[in-house]
Amino acid sequence: MTEVDQASRIAEIIEACPADQRFALAALQDMQHAFNYIPEEGLSALAEHLGCSQAHLYSMATFYKALSLTPKGEHIIKICNGTACHLRGAMNLATELKRDLGIDPGETTEDGTFSVELVNCLGSCALAPVMVVDGTYHNKLRVEQIPGIIESYASQGSEEVADHD
Amino acid sequence: MINGTEKILVCCGTGCIANGALGVADAIQAELEARGLAGSVEVSAQVVRTGCSGECEQGPIVRFMPRDLMYYRVKERDAAAIVDSLEGEPVSRLLFKKDGQTYEHMNDNPYYALQHKVVLKDVGIIDPLSIDDYIERGGYEGLKKALAMTPDEIITEVEKSGLRGKGGAGFPTGRKWRTAAGYDVFPKYIVCNGDEGDPGAFMDGSTMEGSPHAVIEGMIIGALAIGAEEGVLYIRDEYALARDHIQHAIDDAYEAGILGDSIMGSGHKLDLSIVRGGGAFVCGESTALMASIEGRVGEPRAKYIRSVQRGLFDHPTVLNNVESLASIPTILRDGGEEYAKLGTEGSKGTKVFAMVGKVKHTGLVEVPMGTTLRTLIYDIGGGLIDDRPFKAIQTGGPSGGCIPESLLDLPVDFDTLTEYGAMMGSGGMIVMDDRSCMVEVARYYVDFLCEESCGKCTPCREGLRQMRAILTDICEGRGKPGDVELLERIGRTMQDASLCALGRTAPNPVMTTIKFFRNEYDAHIEGKECPAGVCEKLTQFAIDADACTGCGMCSRACPADAISGERKEAHVIDPAKCIACGSCREVCRFNAVLTERRPA
Amino acid sequence: MSEKLTITIDGVECTCEKGEYIYDVARRNNIAIPVLCRSDAFADHRACCRICIVEVETRGRRKVVTSCVYPIDQECAVYTKSEKILEERAVILSLLAHRAPDAQRIADMNQAWGREGFERLVTIDNEKCILCGLCVQACDSLGTGAISTVLRGTEKKVDTPYDKPSEFCVGCLSCANVCPTGAIEYEQTATTRTIWNREFSLLFCPDCGAPMGTPESVRHAVGPEGELPTVCDACRKKRLANEMMQTYRYV
Repeated sequence: MTEVDQASRIAEIIEACPADQRFALAALQDMQHAFNYIPEEGLSALAEHLGCSQAHLYSMATFYKALSLTPKGEHIIKICNGTACHLRGAMNLATELKRDLGIDPGETTEDGTFSVELVNCLGSCALAPVMVVDGTYHNKLRVEQIPGIIESYASQGSEEVADHD
Repeated sequence: MINGTEKILVCCGTGCIANGALGVADAIQAELEARGLAGSVEVSAQVVRTGCSGECEQGPIVRFMPRDLMYYRVKERDAAAIVDSLEGEPVSRLLFKKDGQTYEHMNDNPYYALQHKVVLKDVGIIDPLSIDDYIERGGYEGLKKALAMTPDEIITEVEKSGLRGKGGAGFPTGRKWRTAAGYDVFPKYIVCNGDEGDPGAFMDGSTMEGSPHAVIEGMIIGALAIGAEEGVLYIRDEYALARDHIQHAIDDAYEAGILGDSIMGSGHKLDLSIVRGGGAFVCGESTALMASIEGRVGEPRAKYIRSVQRGLFDHPTVLNNVESLASIPTILRDGGEEYAKLGTEGSKGTKVFAMVGKVKHTGLVEVPMGTTLRTLIYDIGGGLIDDRPFKAIQTGGPSGGCIPESLLDLPVDFDTLTEYGAMMGSGGMIVMDDRSCMVEVARYYVDFLCEESCGKCTPCREGLRQMRAILTDICEGRGKPGDVELLERIGRTMQDASLCALGRTAPNPVMTTIKFFRNEYDAHIEGKECPAGVCEKLTQFAIDADACTGCGMCSRACPADAISGERKEAHVIDPAKCIACGSCREVCRFNAVLTERRPA
Repeated sequence: MSEKLTITIDGVECTCEKGEYIYDVARRNNIAIPVLCRSDAFADHRACCRICIVEVETRGRRKVVTSCVYPIDQECAVYTKSEKILEERAVILSLLAHRAPDAQRIADMNQAWGREGFERLVTIDNEKCILCGLCVQACDSLGTGAISTVLRGTEKKVDTPYDKPSEFCVGCLSCANVCPTGAIEYEQTATTRTIWNREFSLLFCPDCGAPMGTPESVRHAVGPEGELPTVCDACRKKRLANEMMQTYRYV
C-alpha cells in the first residue's frame, strides 16, 4: 500500500466514524483490519477527529491485544495457548515454529512473510492443540506437521492452501 | 418415503468448521441437487447449517430430522451415502459406537441422555440465520408474554425462576433487574457480556453462534423490565462467526418489527448494536467492559456504587451474561416456577459446561445445576482418554481452582465449589490426568493473568509478578523452603485487597493446587522432582526397551530428532538432544516412554 | 441536607454524612490511614495502590474495603489496624517496595508498616514508579493529555506515545509534582527544562527575574486566544496595586 493509499484509507475510516469517543475502539479495529497495524498517522488523525488525546488512543492501542502498533507479517500464525491446547502441547508448537522460522511468538520474520502469535483460547478446545494460519484451522496438530504447513504458505503466497487435517 | 419434512442438519460451529463442515454441507447440497431433490416441489430435504451441537471432537456432525439420526466425523465423500440413507438404512460406519454398541439416535447416546437443554435447546437444531426457524420452535413467545405484562410482573417471573448470573458471579438476575428498574434516571442500558475470555471455555460463543435470537429475545425482555431503550452486545474479538450470526439476527429482528421503534407494535422501543471486544480477558469484568464500550482502556473501577445505579455512561445499566440472557425466553414462556423445578435449592435451572482436556468426549454439555462432577466426567464425558488415572478437574478457568478426586461427588452449583476454594465460574471444565503437573498448571494460569491483568492495582499486578517468579523457580528446580507459605501470604492479600473480581480470584489456581496437591509442590521444592514428568528442567525421558515395539511413532513425533532406532526394534532417546517436551510420551501407545528425575 | 450517621473508627465515635468516604472521616478525626494514589487535587480517586485498606463491620459481617473510595451508607465499625489489615497492608507495601526499590517514600512507609519475610521477592532495578496513575490523572485534568498508561498487566508503565517527546506536553511539571515517589525526573538548567525527553526554554519575569515556567505552559494556562501575561503573578499583583494607588491618588 502506498502512502497516498494509506492516507486516503485512513480518511475513509475516520469519515465513517461518528465523532464520539465511544467509537474509538471500533475505529482502531478498522484501521488494524485495513493495515494489519495502526499507523501513527491514523492514530493522530483519529485523536483529532474524536477530540481526545493521542496518548489516550495510544494507551488503548497498547492495552488491547487485537490492536498492534507494528506491521504484522503477510501470514499470521496463531498458536492457541488456551488451557486445553496448553495441556496438549501448544508450547511445543511454538518451539517448532521458532526452529523453522527463527522467531518467537509476538515477532515477525525479517522478510515480513510470517508473524507468530500466542493467543488465548480460540474456542476450539475439543480439537486441541490448534494452530490457525490466516484464519484456517489446523487441528490436533502434531509438531512434525508444522514444517510442511509453513512450506505451503511460504511457496504459495497468500493463496488458499491444502487442508492439513 | 421422502415427504418434504426432512431436514439434514450440518453442524457449522467453529469446531466443526475447523474440521471441514462447510465442505460437507456443500457436498450434501450438491448431491441433493444432482438427484433433483434440492428445492424441487415435492421434496424439501434441506441442508440446514446449524450451530454447535456440542461434541466438537467428533465433528463434523450431521443430524437428520425427523428421523433423528446422528452421524459423526462425516467427510465430504460420505455425502452420497448420507443422501441414500434419507430413505434407506442408516450409514452404520458414521453412527456413534461405544462398547461395541451402535447408537442411531441422539438421545440414546449417553453423551446426551443425561443432559437437559434450556439454553442450548435450539442450538444444533435450528438454522441460526433463520428467524423463522427460531419462531417455529417457540421463539419470541416469551417476548409476546412479556409485552402483555408490566415490568414488575416480568421481574417477578424472573425472580421466581431463581435465575442467577451464569457468567460466574451468580448474582440473582431478578434482583439486579429490580434494582435497575427502581432508578428513575434515563436513558438506561442493557448490556450483554459476550466477552468470554476464559481459556478453555466456549459456551457463550457457541450459544451466540447457534441460537442468536435467544440472546436477543432475552435482551429485549430485560430492556422492557428495566425500561432501557438501548442495548449493546460486547462480543469477543476472536468470535467472528458469533458476531456475524448475532448481527444477522439483529438485522432480521429489525426487519420483523421485533426491534426498533415499536417492539411487535407495542410502542416500546429498543435499539441493539454490537461492540467488538478489543481482546482483553479483564473486559469480562463488568466495569472494565463498560469502560471498553465507552472507548477507554478496560480498567475496572471500584464497585461500591453498583452498575445498576451508575454503569455505562454513568447511567443505570444491567449487564448480563450470554447464557443468562438466553435462559430468559424459556423462563417467560414456560413460567419461572417451571424453570425453578430444575437445579438445587440455591442454584436453579441448568448450566452449560465446556468440557475439555483429557476426557473422551469433549464439547458442550448442559445439565441441571447440582449434577456431580463425577457424572459429568464419567457418565457424560465417558471417562479419561486411554483410561488414564484422573488427577484433577479445573473449573472456572483462571478464577477457579483444581479439584481432586476426593471431591468429585460434590454437586456443581454456585455455592458448593466456592466453599472448597474453587468456583463453578463461567463453565469451563478441564480434565487432567496423571500427566498434568499441578504446579505447572498454577504457573500457566498465573502467566496468563500476568498478561491479562489490567495492571491497575498493586495486589493483582505485583502479586502476580511475584507469584510467577516463585512458581517458575519451583518448576525449574530453584524452589526454596517457605515458598509455598509466601505464595499463600501473597494470595490471601490478593483475594481481599485487589480492586476487581479478576484480581480477587487470580490466586485461586495457586491456592487450590497448594490445598489439594501440596505433595507436588514439596516434590518440586525438596526432591527437585516433577512427579507428572512435565517440568522440563526436572525431567528426563527414557524408553523402556521391553515395552517398546519399535513402531517409530515417537521418533516421528520428536521435534528434536533425539530418538533413533531400527523399525521393530527398541528405540533410544539421546539425552543430549532431548528437550523434554513429552511429545514421545503423548504418542506412544505402549506406555514405553518413561519419565525419571533429571539429575542436577 | 443529607443524612447524618455515627460510626466508629478504631473504637472512636465519628459523625459523618451518608456517602462520605471512610478516609475523609478518619482524617477529620485524626486517625491516620496511609495513602499513596490519593490526592486532594482530584475529586475522583483511582483506588489502585490499596494501601488504605480497612475492615468494615456491618451487622456482624466484616469485609476489607479501600477507605479512599468507600462511601459510608450505614452505621458500621471501621478497623484500620486489625491484624488482617496490618498483615495485608504489609504484604502490599512489600510488593511495592520490590517494584520500586529506589522510592524513598515506600521504604519509609515500610519502616512504619512493614513486616518480615519478603526477602525472597524479586526486585526491579532502579525503579521508583509505583504506577499509581496520579501523573496521568494530572495531565488529563489539565487537558494536555501528553502521557498515559501504556501496555497492561505486569508490563504496564507510564509514557508518552511511541516513547517520543510529546508535542502536547507543555513542560508544566504537574506530573512530577503530584508523583508520590519522585519517579518522574526532569532536569532544569538556568535557561531550560527537560522532561519526558523534551527540552523547553524557560520564561523569566522581566520585573523580578523569577521563573514563569515554559512558554508552552504559560500559553496553555490562558488558552489559545487568551492574553499572555507579561510579568509573573506576584509582579502582576504589585503592578495592579501600584495602578490602584495611582488612581486613588487622583481621586
